[in-house]
Amino acid sequence: MVTAQAFVGLIPEIVAFLFSLVVLMVGVFAPRATGLTTGLAAFGALVTFVSTVMLLALRFEGSFFGDGYVVDDFALYFKLIVALSAFFAVLAAAHWAGGTGDAPEYLNLILTVVVGSMLLVSMRDLFGIFVAIELATIPSYALVAFDRRRRESSEGGMKYLLTGMIASSILLYGIVLIYGTAGSANLTELSGAFAGQVSPVALLGLVLLVSGFAFKVSVAPFHFWTPDAYQGAPASAAAFLSVAPKAATFAVLLRILLEGMPEVAPSWTALSAVLAIVTMFVGNLLALRQRNVRRMLAYSSVAHSGYILTAFAALQGAGLQTAVQAVLIYSAAYAVMNLGAFFVIDLVGEETKSFNGLFRTRPGVALSMAIFMAALVGIPPFSGFFGKAWIIAAGAQSGAVIVYVAVAALVVNSVLSVPYYFGIIRNMFFEEAVTDAGRKERAVALKFSVYALAVATTLFAFFVGPLAALAGTSGLF
Amino acid sequence: MITTITIFFPLLGVLLMLLLRNADERTVRYSALGIAAVPLLLVLYVYFAYGGDLREASALTQSFDWISSLGIGYRVGLDGLGFGMFFLSALLTLIAVVASWDIRENPRQYFAILFVAELGMLGVFAAQDLILFYVFFEITLIPMYLLVGIWGDENRRPAAIKFFIYTFLGSTTMLAGFLALGMLSGPNFSIEALQESGALSRTAQVAVAAPILFGLLVKVPAVPLHSWLLDVYVSSPTSTNVMLSGVLPKLGTYGLIKIAVPLLPQGVEPFLPFLAIFGVVNIIYGSFVAFLQPDLKALVAYSSIGTLGFILLGVASGNAVGINGAVMQQVTHGLYSALLFILVGIIASRTGTRRIDEMGGLAARMPWVGGLLALGALAAMGVPGLAVFVSEFMSIMGGFEAFPVWGVLATLGLILGAMYLLFMLQRTIFGPMTLPTLEETEDAGPVEMAAVVPLAFLLLILGFVPSLLINVQRPAVEAVLVAIGGS
Repeated sequence: MVTAQAFVGLIPEIVAFLFSLVVLMVGVFAPRATGLTTGLAAFGALVTFVSTVMLLALRFEGSFFGDGYVVDDFALYFKLIVALSAFFAVLAAAHWAGGTGDAPEYLNLILTVVVGSMLLVSMRDLFGIFVAIELATIPSYALVAFDRRRRESSEGGMKYLLTGMIASSILLYGIVLIYGTAGSANLTELSGAFAGQVSPVALLGLVLLVSGFAFKVSVAPFHFWTPDAYQGAPASAAAFLSVAPKAATFAVLLRILLEGMPEVAPSWTALSAVLAIVTMFVGNLLALRQRNVRRMLAYSSVAHSGYILTAFAALQGAGLQTAVQAVLIYSAAYAVMNLGAFFVIDLVGEETKSFNGLFRTRPGVALSMAIFMAALVGIPPFSGFFGKAWIIAAGAQSGAVIVYVAVAALVVNSVLSVPYYFGIIRNMFFEEAVTDAGRKERAVALKFSVYALAVATTLFAFFVGPLAALAGTSGLF
Repeated sequence: MITTITIFFPLLGVLLMLLLRNADERTVRYSALGIAAVPLLLVLYVYFAYGGDLREASALTQSFDWISSLGIGYRVGLDGLGFGMFFLSALLTLIAVVASWDIRENPRQYFAILFVAELGMLGVFAAQDLILFYVFFEITLIPMYLLVGIWGDENRRPAAIKFFIYTFLGSTTMLAGFLALGMLSGPNFSIEALQESGALSRTAQVAVAAPILFGLLVKVPAVPLHSWLLDVYVSSPTSTNVMLSGVLPKLGTYGLIKIAVPLLPQGVEPFLPFLAIFGVVNIIYGSFVAFLQPDLKALVAYSSIGTLGFILLGVASGNAVGINGAVMQQVTHGLYSALLFILVGIIASRTGTRRIDEMGGLAARMPWVGGLLALGALAAMGVPGLAVFVSEFMSIMGGFEAFPVWGVLATLGLILGAMYLLFMLQRTIFGPMTLPTLEETEDAGPVEMAAVVPLAFLLLILGFVPSLLINVQRPAVEAVLVAIGGS
């Protein structure tokens, strides 16, 4: 039954979709009006954000399209993150995209990823999930390869496309196996197949499903596309892709596991714990070796996937509710700090050397980058601290030995990550400036994004209370 | 409300320093001085208005929900355990501003970073919530890293990052302990409520206490965990040394007294003998290694590690005398080590060397510096009449009562301390003048005197009238004893 209610629930997606079309059309009729297209795209992201806030404020909830599509606080929370990240990514892209002359196409792709990611977090049907994931992923291949002036961009895009295709087929294979044993692709009806004696085919399906997702969120050992893709992609695209679709993918994985397979929680929490430990170490140890800041941040994002997976491992015992909150809080905290860090690369450069002496030449940018780096390490009062604290808190409540091990690994990895994040701080504050530094660009929107995100990262302590209250009511348990 | 204002007042200083972009150096220094004086005046006001029993002064506490789903709140308040250090943090920041009169490079940024550090330090000693305590605890870390890394000597960069990684390892481990403690007892992170409830079983307490103790002992540092300390102390500029030795180690010891012991009495109990051993090892190891240092600053650094051992011993004793001594030793240690570090800075800037064997006869040209160095060294030895004597004596008394053997060994440490300090004095301020640069050297100027004289004065006053401090801390120490005994 398709009702008017269903369309109210879809307003944010419809808004984002319409604006993506408008931006494209403006590009056709007024190809030189970069300012107009950027403004429209940013405005579109903002309207999407506001309409999501409205749905939240109205306490709009419901399940539509034969229980295939659900609007709840959990989904809306992630839609907020996606829309806000898109807003900042569009602003940050303005200067660069204007230079390429293809701004409308670029911004259209970003908004299409927004539509896909927002649909994704509301899906309650395995095939719907697959379609939404592809809707979010296929434009992102193009986004990564968008910078035609740099050879790394096409290389990264190609690698991302090939591995992404393999991941999609593995995911689809997993979905089919689960569908075959359960007789339904709807999450609520899945739980029957995963109760009592679980067939090995269903378990194989689960493993393939988790592996497919692991590819998408760059969890080791399926992470190898990440550094090339993020190095090649335009900085605003890398920033956006490492935050919004990733958060949405984690969210829907959480939904599948909690709503569809609560009975086999011991299997997937253990799997998550092992993957988390491997991912954290792989990400951080490889990040330590990087001289290129983009690659470093790419490996750092692998490590952060590992941190979030630790929360997945803690989804058991008394820690269940805290662990769900941890995923929500971590996603928001990670969004502000990681977007900012990638945007600074766009302002400064991607070699570690280009950060030398930045505190003397551009103190505002240096201070913002220092804030992002400290937040990524997890130092209070910056945003990342709250994410990590929540995960550790959930782990402490879970009462399972393997989760304790994962939490200990998280503590060790936080320390392991200090040298590479603080290497940037050292270069900015302690080294002498390089000669060609001090190049000033008139990228006003980009600078605005960086400063706004730095402020949000610093003042996260003030948002975390309301965010936690919102996360507390999201009904996924 | 007063407490909150005092904690966050330094933010105004940060803002002011950012705004004074085009001001001359003189304006910058005097405004920094003015900003740094305010928290100290507020603390003095609190002392004279509410000094009788701080816990009954509701004007000092403030509490509201921060993250209500986890029972985390913004809870601040002053009690006898933290008051001495709260005062010392404000005082030493002011003195650090005065002592950094020699910082020529970007004083504006130096002061801004110093004020961030002050905010964290004041916050730690007033926090009444575990997470808030941790947040303030960590806020001090990045400023210290930057102060050492930007304004330190040629070895500053490795020293700064080593300091950061070590203490961050400690504090993250401690955070895990805090979170486990809070989540398993509620969730609830209010220190006061946790002290009353004592919900955890003995095994759980031990499991939680281990990471917390590890983190705090790295911060102190207790001796096997101290390897980050020497480089950073030696590389720092003088005014950073004042904070590094005067306040930072107390973040660790205060955590022991305020959190570990009263909140996890059964969990800490099996570790107390080891804590006493750590204390004695610190005392004896610090003295021995200080004896071997050719560098005056390194000698003071090891002397500082050594006398921190008395705090550990006093805490481990678990009795009224020992804990009172430990709480007071935190303050007296800060006073004397800050005094010595500033004097070393003055001597080094005048003579161009820190090597003890190159010095000699300082007192002839610099009577004030020499005299105050002698006073500081006598204080470090624990000579009666100076404040350190009172607190060290109480710590040893308490320690002796609980662990007779370690108490006796700690006394041995006192003798060792006297040996190397007298030997140092003999070779630096007395004897023939060996340094050619010393011929034209002048004594400390008025600004330098303004930095050291208050410290010397307080060492004397608290030496003769220790009750000025002990009366304030006694009610809070009694509450800790109730928590231990009631288990």
